[in-house]
Amino acid sequence: MSSATTDIETFRQEARAWIKANLEPRPKASATGRPEREASTPEDIAKARVLQRKLFDAGWAGLSYPAEYGGRGLTALHERVWREEALDYYAPDFGVAGSVTFGAIGRSLVAHCTPEFCQEHIPKILAGEELWCQFYSEPEAGSDLAGIRTRAVQDGERWIISGSKIWSSGAYLADWAMCLARTDWSVPKHRGLTWFAVPTNAKGVEIRQIRQINGNAEFCEEFLDEVEVTEADVIGEVNKGWAVTQTMLVYERGAGEMGASMVEPRELAPDLVALARKVGRADDPAARQAIAKAHINDYAQYHLGHRIADRLRAQATPDPAVAAYGKLASGVLAPIRARLGMEVGGPAALAWAAGDEDGGRPALNYLNGRVTSIAAGTNEMQRNGIGERVLGLPREPSFDTNKPFNEVLSGARNWNSKVG
Amino acid sequence: MDTDVTEDQRALLDVSERFMGQTCPLTVVRDADQRNGDFLASYRRQAAELGWFSMLVPEDLGGGNISGNGVLDAALIAYKRGGLLQPGSYIGTNVVACAVAAAGSDELRKEVLGAMVGGETSASWAVASAGSNGEPDGGVTAEVTADGGLVLNGAKTAVQDVEASSWLLVTCRTSVGPAQALVSAGAAGVTVTELESLDISRRFAEVRFDDVAVAPSAVVGQPGASGDLIDRQLALAAVLTAAESVGAMDHELDMTVEYAKDRIAFGRPIGSFQAVKHVLADMSLAVEMAKAVVGAAARSLGDDDGYGVEAASIAKALVGESSIELAQNCFQVFGGIGYTWEHDQHLYLRRLTTDAGLFGDAAWHRERLCQLAGI
Repeated sequence: MSSATTDIETFRQEARAWIKANLEPRPKASATGRPEREASTPEDIAKARVLQRKLFDAGWAGLSYPAEYGGRGLTALHERVWREEALDYYAPDFGVAGSVTFGAIGRSLVAHCTPEFCQEHIPKILAGEELWCQFYSEPEAGSDLAGIRTRAVQDGERWIISGSKIWSSGAYLADWAMCLARTDWSVPKHRGLTWFAVPTNAKGVEIRQIRQINGNAEFCEEFLDEVEVTEADVIGEVNKGWAVTQTMLVYERGAGEMGASMVEPRELAPDLVALARKVGRADDPAARQAIAKAHINDYAQYHLGHRIADRLRAQATPDPAVAAYGKLASGVLAPIRARLGMEVGGPAALAWAAGDEDGGRPALNYLNGRVTSIAAGTNEMQRNGIGERVLGLPREPSFDTNKPFNEVLSGARNWNSKVG
Repeated sequence: MDTDVTEDQRALLDVSERFMGQTCPLTVVRDADQRNGDFLASYRRQAAELGWFSMLVPEDLGGGNISGNGVLDAALIAYKRGGLLQPGSYIGTNVVACAVAAAGSDELRKEVLGAMVGGETSASWAVASAGSNGEPDGGVTAEVTADGGLVLNGAKTAVQDVEASSWLLVTCRTSVGPAQALVSAGAAGVTVTELESLDISRRFAEVRFDDVAVAPSAVVGQPGASGDLIDRQLALAAVLTAAESVGAMDHELDMTVEYAKDRIAFGRPIGSFQAVKHVLADMSLAVEMAKAVVGAAARSLGDDDGYGVEAASIAKALVGESSIELAQNCFQVFGGIGYTWEHDQHLYLRRLTTDAGLFGDAAWHRERLCQLAGI
């Protein structure tokens, strides 16, 4: 047995013992390990902060974050072992804001910020004191993230930010935002971008929740009206924001494992089996095919996630186009998975008794089925990334890559399909 | 296929790939006349020297593998074989050798196993039958004789790469349940008829059994109590077939991507059009997913971790569907040139579609997953 294996086994024993002594068991997790309901109220967040603090104080927060910033400096394998051990216990649940904070944002900050910045923010993030959100997309720039129009203007040691952002998950619960702004309009689009840390309670920040098709309001839109931040709030380098974006996208795309369950799914699509039994279709060949398809999808997504995560770890600089495989898999399979639920449920999935949450779940999953095919870059963006950067296929002719951004906008209005 | 191949595995794969490229490149694959009996016998002996037929046989019976997981080693070779559409009974010989090692009589182990491992004879699993979609014991019925032997009657079809000297493992139905027998292709009452087939890189035969007497020593496993053995054989055949398909998918996608870069239309390489690029990206995802799942299934089955049989059905169902999809999409990208005999595209289309249907198609394995789960 190698020392690495011994180390992992010791770690597992320690984690198991601590979890058993300190966390509250929860009803057996669904086979996918996903929570039934996501944290969405300030009370949920307050509860999660207390629990996160407990983990942080005992050294179980930020396992793969650098030790100098309050993490443990361990590997992704340790993270996985922890997740496996904690699966049947209540862990801090910050909802989407949590995966955003500890994933794309935390990782990007560590990779690109100064030691002073990290010293200031990372320990607070790991302790549950700072919850972050993303001011990335705008009403007129989503998949085309480098096309954003929020502007930041330097004024001495201050930066003044104005514009509007949208699709910020959990922003109404967050303390800070990672905000992308254009700082130079006279250069091509990728070369005039800068990232800023913006406190969500700063003067001039207005956050509104958006009601979604599922009735929830977890998404937000923001209006930034001459919001002041300082030089110390710059993330990475001025006008070199696209380099930060490359890191951010790897994690935004789930580092290969988006949408995959935490443990190898071995139980045949338990949600659909229960549904088929409930509606009396467990012997119906069509329903059985649908159930097996769903399970095969779950199993494939789990193992693809591991494969892509391994590939990313083997790269000196993880390539967002490789992470795109996991994102695309999720974006393609999740809508199929949701449709299979509707197929198995039949009429019972179309109408159910008032207040019957269980009965309404296939429909809710169906409405949420296209989240990963659109959010964080559409399937089409992932296909471009894989096609161009992994397979090496040539790009489409571009209308904006080499032009100063201020000319791009006026040019687009007079677009006549002629390149150049 | 696997992201963490060991050095020993890498060495085996490299030498195997060289052997295939030199002995049986695609020019030979597409020429049935060159792939005659002498060629196949020589190919088999050379392959045996590389250890292709020993991986699923324990060391004390003359076998052995390099990583400790013989199924994974065999799947990695299968992947390489699939890329070059290799002929010969690789999967059949390995499956039959594995079954004989696990449940064969001492006589069989002594007389037959060594010849299979050493490449002196090949073996095929006579499992498919007309009118039964995937059920291993269809097509042939057997009477159990007083001394524990069998008398076989009926026919199996799509039996792969049967040579005159081949051993056939026949899975059949008796009054007490499924049974298996090892029969020589040349035995009295056995009629082998060559078939025409969609896949022209291999040979397929119908095998008829007319009152074929099987000695008790040639019965593999206990009649009526061979269910687990057959399940495992089917899982092994499914994983190795899926692995060959993944190799073929990978190779065909590479060919297609190269073509999309080279072929100019409307003043641009056609791969720059998103309509083409996105299809290829989807197919690249299909290959990554197939590699991940087949690798996981091979590990699971070889490690005997309690989920191998299920994982094999998952792999066969997933690959059975995505391989045909890939072959169809690549054909579309090639356009008219892909419809010509000279182009290699159709060899892959034929192979992938055939492999998808052998040892149970996607729908059959999906139903099987429900049954294995007790639903």
